[in-house]
Amino acid sequence: MKRPTTIPIGPQHPAFLEPLNIGLELEEERVVGATLNLGYNHRGMEYALALDYKKTQYLVERVCGICSNHHSAAYCQTMEDIYDIEVPVRAKVIRTIMMECQRITSHLLALGHTAETMGYENLFMQCFRERELAMRLVNEISGNRVHYSINVIGGIKRDMDAGMERHTANVMRELRPLLEDLRDVFARDNTLVKRMKDVGVLTNEQARDWCTVGPVARASGLPQDIREDGFAAYDMIDLKPVVRDEGDCYARTMVRMDECLHSIDLIEECLKLLDEGPVIMTVKGHPTGEGLSRVEAPRGELLYHVKAIGGLQLDRIKIRTPAFLNVPSVQAMLPGSRLADVPLITVSVDPCICCTDR
Amino acid sequence: MSMLRSSLRNLFQRPVTTAYPNVQADLPQSNRGRVMWEMSKCIYCRRCERVCPTNAISTNKEAKSQTIVRNRCITCNACVEVCPTQTISMVADYSKPDLAPTVHIFSANLPDYNFRVEHLPRGSGSRRPDEVTND
Ligand code: SF4
Ligand code: SF4
Repeated sequence: MKRPTTIPIGPQHPAFLEPLNIGLELEEERVVGATLNLGYNHRGMEYALALDYKKTQYLVERVCGICSNHHSAAYCQTMEDIYDIEVPVRAKVIRTIMMECQRITSHLLALGHTAETMGYENLFMQCFRERELAMRLVNEISGNRVHYSINVIGGIKRDMDAGMERHTANVMRELRPLLEDLRDVFARDNTLVKRMKDVGVLTNEQARDWCTVGPVARASGLPQDIREDGFAAYDMIDLKPVVRDEGDCYARTMVRMDECLHSIDLIEECLKLLDEGPVIMTVKGHPTGEGLSRVEAPRGELLYHVKAIGGLQLDRIKIRTPAFLNVPSVQAMLPGSRLADVPLITVSVDPCICCTDR
Repeated sequence: MSMLRSSLRNLFQRPVTTAYPNVQADLPQSNRGRVMWEMSKCIYCRRCERVCPTNAISTNKEAKSQTIVRNRCITCNACVEVCPTQTISMVADYSKPDLAPTVHIFSANLPDYNFRVEHLPRGSGSRRPDEVTND
């Protein structure tokens, strides 16, 4: 029996946008084992965030650039849980709209990145062109393309006027056929399908054992979606989680694509729910007690736990990000695959190292 | 096959990108670009300084000035909202990139919305002037 060859992939690798390291054990071209090493991006955010709870609502967005709004929404919900207040309906609906917009931008980034990893630069640019429509829209609504800074404890900061509501509806109408075209390409393009089908399979049991969440779990047949809990305005709209059974790269990609299209449905439903009313309520006093909240970020369940001790400073703020649960599951997907598929499989879980390391 | 169709369509389309920086970026009016002070209104209450999550602002009541480290500012809009006299406003375009560490100083001696640029010693990064002297 020959000893397997061990080679490192990363932390600097052209296929990865962020530093992660995989120690691969190879027999010829086949991967027989994989060990993940993380921690290249650790910034000690959890400590920095606990210094001043009022400033945290802005800083918490900096944990991750692609799901920034979900982080601030989760943090604000946690604080609202501590204060034991219910934010106005209009604020909830606008939060939901922003979260779904961000899901579209995040998934399109992941899809574009998947295409680029396969050398399909053309499709990558197409994804980013459609993504720009959504990016522009969130810029117009919130004032920034990435860090919306729209959630505050007790509601939202910037309201949408009637013109902006119409504009959002128009952009969604414009975006839908473009995304349907993209879906067509991802679903039926020969090269793509051959490259992704039956590659990096994560079976249902493995998905459960590795505690995966979000699109990775749903692509392996685990119907878990935190949006069904009905935080923000999700209990008022008709949510249908996208679930597939194959568990391969193709399924993960298609789940993301279908979720983008479903997000458009959800945004259109939310726009109908927008009634006149306040968007923010005043919150008095420093928080005391413990709070917990979960939201469904683009990558899956995002959990915040805050312990407040009645001052500006928080005792502890604990963030469990979805990528922290999803990224290790590549160790189950990689064995058995070919070396050339390693970047594709890793990218197909949509690894966000900023989130994972915090 | 489906990609071929969209490739052909793209071939006859105008480019979606613009020739930035030769062409001005098309920023929406609501964009949070940079903060500006209208110093004749300021009452030096220091609320902006206290609320700023990145400590980018330092208020100097004696010199009647506001100093901002642009590289630190994350344009979160908190100072604009907290100011009791609406002294601070957010404008849509971004500040110009710096080649060396600088701070922008708004003061009551200058016309409203004007600031002077002060260079900090090399290697100061995005520190405030008081932090530099503390070193
Ligand atoms: S909050 Fe407004 S009035 Fe007070 S110091 Fe700042 S700029 Fe001046
Ligand atoms: S916009 Fe935010 S970060 Fe920038 S100076 Fe004002 S409070 Fe500080």
